[in-house]
Amino acid sequence: MRKHSVKSAAIVGASLLVLAACGSNKDEGSGSNGGSCDTSKGTLTVGVVAPLSGNLSALGVGIKQSAELAVDEANKKCTVKGYKLTVSAQDDEANPAKGAQAATKLSTDPNVVGVVGTLNSSVAQTVQPILRDKKIPQVSPANTNPSLTRGNDFLTAPKRQFDNYFRVCTTDDLQGPYAANYLVEKAGKKKIAIITDGKTYGEGLAAELSKQVAKKGGQIVGSEKVGEKDTDFSGVISKIKALSPDAVYYGGEYPVAGPLSKQMASAGLNVPLMGGDGIFDGKYIELGGKEGDLATSVGAPTESLATAKAFVDAYKAKFGKEDYAAYGAFSYDAANAIIGALAATVDGAAWDESKRDAMLQNVGKYSGSGATGEVKFDQYGDSTNKVLTVYQVTSAKWKDVQTGTFTG
Amino acid sequence: MSTVDTTSGKPSPLASLGKPFAAAGGVLGIVAALLPWVTFSLNDGNWPDKSTLQFFDAPFAVTGFRWHVLLLGVLILVATFAPVPSRGRVVRALGWGLTIVSLVNAVYITVKGGGLGAITAVDGATAFGGVVGLVAGVLAILAGYGIGIGPVGEWKFKISTPVAYLVLLVSFGAVLYAVAAMLTTGGVGSANPYAGAIFLSFLGFAGGLLGALSGVGYVRWISALSEQHRVFSVIVLAACALLLPFTEAGNEYWMTVAANIGIYAATAIGLNIVVGLAGLLDLGYVAFMGIGALVAANFSGAATAYFGFDLPFPVAAVIAAVVAGIFGAIVGSPTLRVRGDYLAIVTLAFGEIFTRSAQNDIGGFTNGSNAIPGIPALSLFGAEFNKSFTIGAIKLPAGVLYYVLIVLLVAATMAVFANLKFSRIGRAWIAIREDEDAARAMGIRTGKMKILAFLIGAMLAGLAGAVFAHKNGTVSYESFKFLESVTLLAAVILGGMGSIPGAVLGAALLFVLPEKLRDFEDYRLMIFGLALILIMRFRPVGLIPDAHRRAEMVERADENADEAHLEAKKA
Amino acid sequence: MSVLLQQLANGVVQGALIALIALGYTMVYGIIQLINFAHGEVFMVASYGGLATFTLLPDDLKKSAAVALPLMFVGGILVAVVVAVIMERFAYRPLRNAPRLAPLITALGVSVFLQEAVRVFYPNAKSNLPYPKVFPEGNLTIGSINVSWTGVMLVVLSVGLAVILQTYVNRSRMGRAMRATAQDPDTAKLMGVNPNRVIVLTFIFGAVLAGVAGIMYGGYLNNINIDMGFQTGIFAFTAAVLGGVGSIRGAVIGAFIIGLIKTVAGQYMPGGTQYDYVWIFVVLILVLVFRPQGLFGEPERVRA
Repeated sequence: MRKHSVKSAAIVGASLLVLAACGSNKDEGSGSNGGSCDTSKGTLTVGVVAPLSGNLSALGVGIKQSAELAVDEANKKCTVKGYKLTVSAQDDEANPAKGAQAATKLSTDPNVVGVVGTLNSSVAQTVQPILRDKKIPQVSPANTNPSLTRGNDFLTAPKRQFDNYFRVCTTDDLQGPYAANYLVEKAGKKKIAIITDGKTYGEGLAAELSKQVAKKGGQIVGSEKVGEKDTDFSGVISKIKALSPDAVYYGGEYPVAGPLSKQMASAGLNVPLMGGDGIFDGKYIELGGKEGDLATSVGAPTESLATAKAFVDAYKAKFGKEDYAAYGAFSYDAANAIIGALAATVDGAAWDESKRDAMLQNVGKYSGSGATGEVKFDQYGDSTNKVLTVYQVTSAKWKDVQTGTFTG
Repeated sequence: MSTVDTTSGKPSPLASLGKPFAAAGGVLGIVAALLPWVTFSLNDGNWPDKSTLQFFDAPFAVTGFRWHVLLLGVLILVATFAPVPSRGRVVRALGWGLTIVSLVNAVYITVKGGGLGAITAVDGATAFGGVVGLVAGVLAILAGYGIGIGPVGEWKFKISTPVAYLVLLVSFGAVLYAVAAMLTTGGVGSANPYAGAIFLSFLGFAGGLLGALSGVGYVRWISALSEQHRVFSVIVLAACALLLPFTEAGNEYWMTVAANIGIYAATAIGLNIVVGLAGLLDLGYVAFMGIGALVAANFSGAATAYFGFDLPFPVAAVIAAVVAGIFGAIVGSPTLRVRGDYLAIVTLAFGEIFTRSAQNDIGGFTNGSNAIPGIPALSLFGAEFNKSFTIGAIKLPAGVLYYVLIVLLVAATMAVFANLKFSRIGRAWIAIREDEDAARAMGIRTGKMKILAFLIGAMLAGLAGAVFAHKNGTVSYESFKFLESVTLLAAVILGGMGSIPGAVLGAALLFVLPEKLRDFEDYRLMIFGLALILIMRFRPVGLIPDAHRRAEMVERADENADEAHLEAKKA
Repeated sequence: MSVLLQQLANGVVQGALIALIALGYTMVYGIIQLINFAHGEVFMVASYGGLATFTLLPDDLKKSAAVALPLMFVGGILVAVVVAVIMERFAYRPLRNAPRLAPLITALGVSVFLQEAVRVFYPNAKSNLPYPKVFPEGNLTIGSINVSWTGVMLVVLSVGLAVILQTYVNRSRMGRAMRATAQDPDTAKLMGVNPNRVIVLTFIFGAVLAGVAGIMYGGYLNNINIDMGFQTGIFAFTAAVLGGVGSIRGAVIGAFIIGLIKTVAGQYMPGGTQYDYVWIFVVLILVLVFRPQGLFGEPERVRA
């Protein structure tokens, strides 16, 4: 035994010498940096909280990658002087408790300057207070529940809830009634049936829509729910068909809405289906959305907006495909709002904790033209971009039919 | 200390090569630590721990994984030549540790650095650290088999009580340090692009060390010692848990995660009564936690609460527990007739009914899909639980008071569980679990006992739910879905059914693992699924099987499992 | 009246799909007393397998439904069988003698793993994928009732395969071995039955049925997604329990009952479609309380 070990020790000693002679780069370089910009002051992080796993991950990944695109462009353009920006995306699994953990993780990092997210309004409820305590601005690309910014009595007694919370998307109390006006007044659909997926987004939208339908003299003939994971809607459709509605309003997102529309048609219920920005996506048509279906979306039509086209092209160039999903453009704008405010806050100086108040104010004051139109926030943190457009499926494409603002 | 001769009876082709391989493995391990690991700086920044450097440039500044590799190499050498009990096991465990550390680092560098050049030679620079480390690890594993996998070492000497106390104190202190180190490896912030690799590498190192300690017999010895001085151990463990905020892991993020773990651990202990003791499979258990949370939310004075007034938290928590308990008894009532897996589906049905009803705002109590937000944080003597907190000169992170509250809650539920388990009721439950008909024949009123199990289990869950409501500030039906029930059940089974520390360990694992796996982004849940499969494959009785249960499975349980049981107890 | 009839027809079609999956649950449970939670994912994987087969076909074959459709069935079933066999061999078999609940956790782990693996590795699987249009289009209309041809096909396949399976299990030599293993594995072993073969075969049968269900699901609903297996799996499991686990007839009838309750209760019960699931589970609980072994299950016997 002993002999063996002596031998091996000798071998090892010899090889050590050989290897030592080979040498290597003896000092570690400073690593790569972000191109030609001055990034001497270090790295700042834009956080993203969105569902990156599970069945909502298509939307979540779209949010994440769009934010990455915005950060990349900012790095190339040296928007924030002296700093390189990165994205730290945290999965919230669409679960409020997990979202709270994700937000806490970001909030303990002194380099996180702002957070893009969340997708779900219920997750936003737990994320808001955590980020508020650290004065980190949160800009949501997708929360449409009006109470998040204006409190429970958002119509009668609006009151700002969180001074760090902003959103670039529209709210249910604009989008729902606008759709109602179009359906009842313009399209002449008096009998409307409602289907929702039972989640915050769809429920809120449908509730606001039905109030306005009644106001305009229309009638809600029925209100049904489909399960979150349901895929066979024949029961719901048969029930609604018996009520012979003129149109169906669906509160929810395109993965359910597309097949629902298709199944409606094959069950012989040939009325248009209308939905909110959650169904305004090319995938909706691919999944079975039929001719004549309607959707509302915030902002003027993208074709008329150079910034929107630029976003789509840049996204495609970076990720190879157009999977930014329903909220990608909003996320891009949200990230840009944070980056823009950061640039104004830092402005050549160094970032530190004392700048957080100024950062919050700068997000509030931010103004820019983004992929969804004008990006600016009102005194509650809501987007001032209240322009809405109604789109219709025409020859397998979404085509804008009416653009305007909701005026009551 | 008795150094048992550990060579097994089976002749192995490796037998004669055991020691030389081990020695070579150890030396190569040391060499690997000294060699550079990466040839160039990667796109995302330098690989951690100055891995492009030769050791000789800064011999005493080795940190991180290179330090781990060095240590493992030295230990392998020590184990080879020193009189160590169960040498084969020790060398094998250390070898596995070395292999995993080398593999993780080498693979990551290759993938992130774009090619094998990064870990071999390119542009005149060489970096064979990973390859050498890997070879060393594999050699050590083979050497372990060559030396022979004997029984775990046994330490038979007696020590006086004060010395035992000291040993326990030091050991548990080391556990605390290890936990804190594990939580903080890879950094808390998002700044480190290699956090995932650092964590996995650390896990490999820790696993190797633990395996070696357990092979030597140290773990078993400590475990026996703590059994002897049970009260002292519990106090020390609780104190260690309360000391966690003072370690490196004492930041807001880990306090939040730890508090959530605590909430689920308390619930898992409740579930352990139903599943582990009484043997009634429950697939909808999280509903009771949901009920508790909803009750607490409605009494919290939140804007959308059903009741317009707020009750003091202790009162609300008691009401929450009672209401959840009542529902528990109702759900438990079919057990009078329904048995086994049929019962499982009844509980699953109940869970689904709960989520559906909560989503549809049944009775106006749940606020439907909008959830009940804005539940105020708890406060005590003016100290708000979600704010940071100062003792003297030490500023503790925000959320630390929740953590303390939850440690106390878990300790209390553990006490309840322990008392029940060894009481008349507990024995009745175990009897029902083992053979319901025989239990009935012995005069146990099985129906009453089973409903009681559901009732008490649900009450604990309701209590945990009440804390959950205030901790998270929002109660939404989305937090109480089937997946959570499954996670809870997995925590109980993973930890070891009927075992008290098992449920806590299981819950901790199921919550810490996904958090540490965050850096894997897309692959995170997939790795989690794989981990569940692997753990069950190698530890089907759970990580810390209940002593009672272990006795039942004595024919099946090989001493291998026994060893790992002690291992887990240490962890 | 016509609404009721239409809802009954809808329920039968939904039940047919659930039945195909429930058979896999009930057979595996009957033999090794394992609630194979991952069975729903086998169904999901089959669906993606079928879609992948179609995508890989040359363009001229894609146009001809007569060729493409059978090939999709072959591809989907093949994927399902391979996944099921690997799952049995490497995840469940090592746990055959482990405590009863350990395989349950493994099953859940397999379920999460398969779902995530498809999501991550199948191109564009993060959102719903449309299914190719190679299935018969149009509806069968009887009076005021509309059922799509794919729905009719689903019912025919489901009932047909269940009958074949029942006959096989009752009549064939292998079927007898299966029943023997289910009743008493040890005695069956002594009688020369190879339990491993029986168990693998059971998994394969379940996978074939799930494969058929996966393809038909895509054809009937025109799109598939990664968590289609979860919900359908839960219903299938419920159906198996409702009918009495281990009973082939019970699983099929249980599945149809569930389909019917869902549509009819959604139509007529208070709360409407919001609570349709709740009624399924209420009926389930009532049945189990009054008939703890399920509708067609044998009363509990003492198992070794």
